[in-house]
Amino acid sequence: MRVPITWLAEFIDLRDTPEKIAEILTLAGHEVEEIFDPYRKLGEIVSVKILEVLRPEDLREVCLCKVTDGKEVYTVLTTAIDQVKSGQVVAFAKPGSMTFDHRRIETKVVKGYESKGSFVSPFEAGVSEIKDRLLIFSEETEIGKSIYDLLQIKEPVLEVAITPNRGDLLSIYGITRELHLITGWDLKVLSLDKEKLPLISYPGRIEIQDTDGCYRYAGRYLRGVKVGESPFFVLKRLFLCGQRPINNIVDITNYVLLELGQPLHAFDWNKIRGGEILIRRANPQEKLTLLDGREIELHEKDLVIADREEALVLAGIMGGESSGVSESTEEIFLESAWFNPKRIRLSGQRHRITTESSYRFERKVDPEGIPLALKRATELILALMPNIEVSEIVDQYPCPYQPPSIDINLRKIHKILGFELGREKIDSFLFKLGEVKCEGEAYSIRPFSYRQDLSLPEDLVEEIARLYGYDQIPTTFPKATIFSARPRSDLIFNKKVKEILRAFGFYETINYSFINPGSIEALNLNPTDRRLDVIRLTNPISHSLSVMRTTLLPGLLETARFNIHREVENLRIFEVGKVFYPAKDLAEEREFLGLLLMGDMVKTPWEGKKRPLDLFDLKGVLEAMSLAMKLPLQLRPGSEEPFLKAGQSFDIYLEGKRVGYAGAMKKLIIEDFDLKEPLFVAELDLEVLVEPYFRAQKNITVNKPPKYPSTFRDITCVMEKNIPFEAIEKFLLNLKLPYLEKVDLVALYEGEPIPQGHKSISLRFWYRAEDHTLRDEEVEKIHEDIAKGLFDHFRAKPR
Amino acid sequence: MKIEEIQRIKDEALRELRALRSLSDLENFKVKFLGKKGSITQALREIKGLPLEERKKTGAELNQLRQYLEDELESKKRELLFLEEDKPLDIDITLPGRRPLYGGVHPLAKVIDELCEVFTPLGFEVVTGPEIESEYYNFTALNIPEWHPARDMQATFYLQSGALLRTHTSPIQIRAMLARKPPLRIIAPGKVYRCDADVRHSPMFHQVEGLMVDREVSFSDLKGVLSYFAREVFGEGTRLRFRPSYFPFTEPSLEMDIGCVICGGEGCRVCSNTGWIEILGAGMVHPEVLRAVNYDPEQWQGFAFGLGVERIAMLKYGIDDIRLFFENHLYFLESFK
Repeated sequence: MRVPITWLAEFIDLRDTPEKIAEILTLAGHEVEEIFDPYRKLGEIVSVKILEVLRPEDLREVCLCKVTDGKEVYTVLTTAIDQVKSGQVVAFAKPGSMTFDHRRIETKVVKGYESKGSFVSPFEAGVSEIKDRLLIFSEETEIGKSIYDLLQIKEPVLEVAITPNRGDLLSIYGITRELHLITGWDLKVLSLDKEKLPLISYPGRIEIQDTDGCYRYAGRYLRGVKVGESPFFVLKRLFLCGQRPINNIVDITNYVLLELGQPLHAFDWNKIRGGEILIRRANPQEKLTLLDGREIELHEKDLVIADREEALVLAGIMGGESSGVSESTEEIFLESAWFNPKRIRLSGQRHRITTESSYRFERKVDPEGIPLALKRATELILALMPNIEVSEIVDQYPCPYQPPSIDINLRKIHKILGFELGREKIDSFLFKLGEVKCEGEAYSIRPFSYRQDLSLPEDLVEEIARLYGYDQIPTTFPKATIFSARPRSDLIFNKKVKEILRAFGFYETINYSFINPGSIEALNLNPTDRRLDVIRLTNPISHSLSVMRTTLLPGLLETARFNIHREVENLRIFEVGKVFYPAKDLAEEREFLGLLLMGDMVKTPWEGKKRPLDLFDLKGVLEAMSLAMKLPLQLRPGSEEPFLKAGQSFDIYLEGKRVGYAGAMKKLIIEDFDLKEPLFVAELDLEVLVEPYFRAQKNITVNKPPKYPSTFRDITCVMEKNIPFEAIEKFLLNLKLPYLEKVDLVALYEGEPIPQGHKSISLRFWYRAEDHTLRDEEVEKIHEDIAKGLFDHFRAKPR
Repeated sequence: MKIEEIQRIKDEALRELRALRSLSDLENFKVKFLGKKGSITQALREIKGLPLEERKKTGAELNQLRQYLEDELESKKRELLFLEEDKPLDIDITLPGRRPLYGGVHPLAKVIDELCEVFTPLGFEVVTGPEIESEYYNFTALNIPEWHPARDMQATFYLQSGALLRTHTSPIQIRAMLARKPPLRIIAPGKVYRCDADVRHSPMFHQVEGLMVDREVSFSDLKGVLSYFAREVFGEGTRLRFRPSYFPFTEPSLEMDIGCVICGGEGCRVCSNTGWIEILGAGMVHPEVLRAVNYDPEQWQGFAFGLGVERIAMLKYGIDDIRLFFENHLYFLESFK
């Protein structure tokens, strides 16, 4: 909220600078975000000297002036022919600036003459009500200076962030009341109890039909008003608070809203049929055209102010177009009410409208301030139009406000705060908040009607702490029960996975959880694939961030794309994060791991060894991960994922369950993502790995240094090319041979002189006995059996 | 052979020994003096003609010399072999080495770990919660009913199912309290979502939530724990400021500022010329929240706090654009290792 310091000063004896006031408010919980001067925000309005006045013959009612601010020369057209003469120093608004009455100053061309900027009147400059002449300075005035510096006009305004619980601070008067509470500075209490004028009787009828929506409704009738422009002081304060003027009546209601925080509404009396005002629920399908010209269809839960025929106003939110005050209005009805904050808020949300008025009603207005605001508005109108007739105030208040009675005792205060604050201090604070009854150590407080944020003992404790000063409160360490919890296993596991991948040269990325639906569609998934069944946001920021991801792939591909367009072609990245599937209860969220490798395998450049990544780079990472985690991940060739090349991919299994996939992405899909080959990806469901991981950590076989030497024998043989290595491994594993420690693949060769469709494969068999040094003949015997078995099984021939 | 002759050989050998510079010198020397036809070998052969006494004496002397030279040669040879190994290779060793790859964790993950590590030694348990939440956990149970203006503070993404993306990590408080019996201490990091995006806001960001409930935990204790935290994260000399604030789920509430780390309190763009930077919001758990999880507010009280991870990371590393975290450019990621 904007708080002009000069307006504050009307109600309180300000004993410090704007900066210090800002600090006081901030430390009391009302953060001052900025101190600024609205005049300085108008742009460059400076003093210039008129160098020359020209009267070209083809220009009739204007003349052309050459002026300078000391740096540049501007030509300006002006109609104030009889006021300008060379040598004069005048106020000049440069192009791009704005006048007090919201006119944007631009460069114009009239009959081929360019006019840059404009002379301004004292009114246009916002310094007085004078409109009929230019703002002229004495000839010795310094040129090129801000006119506000020259006139010593300073209007500091505080931009204060008011928390939603403190509706009472959404006004100038409210802020002064708060400043008084914190500092004790003298408050000039606003009191308008006695109106010294003859009142006519109220000519109409008011009925609150919806007492849940409207707690209090007061109003009065005024006859003989003349609608026109507001006086300068009203215009200036609206300007300081960033509001545009409409007409004197509406401006005064807005003025009172800013000053006292109570929204008012002015009706054209003649538009209220039968002089009958009904506060009721809207009828089904009832329509209303609002002040901003928008027609809305009302909801039965909306509260409206209606006459006997139709809704005139969306109560507390916005007036209707037809019943508003216009130029020709002579009789008005002024409304001041207290509406149910919840109803106003829900109604505003339903129609997506927030106004200065609804904002305040939602945050609770002071129920006891309703008539005061009416009187204040009357006072301001009377000052302009002393001869109008004013009715009595009609005040419908079926259920007068009852402040809550809050019980609190010293023990509770000390228990929450954690230290003992002197009784006198506590007393002095509590007495500033409402009516206090005190018995021994127990207090009973009925807060002032404007402090509707106070309803619980804890609220009072905060007030005590706040008035004492948060910085004064001691800092202590809790006296707490000793216990400690073991870190959760999934978090430990995730950390381990990240550590391993980092050691393999991968960088962790974090991508948005919402993605472009098109990026999933681009994956060529089977129409029944679960990943196409995405959770959609109803109010996304944009289409490209509109569905919850069901796979980490799109995010990783997007990151790869971002990198490749910014000089990074070789990338190894991963992400650990959630994917989301629809479920009965909220959603099914699963923690996944995604991997992406792209570009070349870069070796030392001076060796000239650089080669494109291939499948075995990805496979190696997964195998090494599997070893590092002691999880026997199984890579089954030929993934079912339609976005992977079937011949260059795997499905990943653990203990017979599919837990992920890995492989080369199809080129056509990569190109859709504006990326290029080679590009490999993998994705694993981490949640299913956690339990097997911890199980595996318990079963560690400890190997010792060998006591007896090992020995090896090689077999090199030729077999059909299409026999997979995996089959050979499996065959050897099933042999269950004594002393065989391991088998290494040492060479693989195809080409001359090996016949077409065949390959030469060399295997090295390592033998060792635990209890003796193997003799040659022992080894030979076993090894011959193996060789024979291998040759027979695979129809291989020794080479 | 005369004594003088032997003396001459001796002198010559010792002189040449000193002059040895290379392994080939060494070989030549060996041949010249100690080889089959070497002068010492020759001399040993020639002394046979000398009288016994003299033969004995000269023979001993020559053998001694031979032994001496052999020993010297051996050590000289080692010396030269060492020198040999010091010779530069025919390669520029200032060329880059073969580096094993080493990646990095994301800076936000790193900061989250650091934040959690401040609290785990105090017995806080790290917990997480769902990112897709219900109105109840995200708002209602936290004392933010549907009509509450505080909902304006958090622009919410809704899903077609009526669920929403959690706007803060506070719903984890509710879930943790329901799943446990007091006393409890938790620290809960995670992703949160709000529908705004610009240089300072990202529609997805991270928070860390803390909660402690016990019999006697007070507002002063909250200040103590937060001060400890700020100094652990930002350094011993960090200036702190506590301001009243408002959150529907805490009462009393506060916000903590630290002295601006960019300008040192002088005033700059980052701290909007105030010299202070807001770091977190906190407060005593609201009695309505305790009631929502069936904790008796007369028996249990506690505090909760929530902080923005991106903000802390930006301050710690001097990052001025929040989007950098989610673009994941390699150069950026490499900065953190």
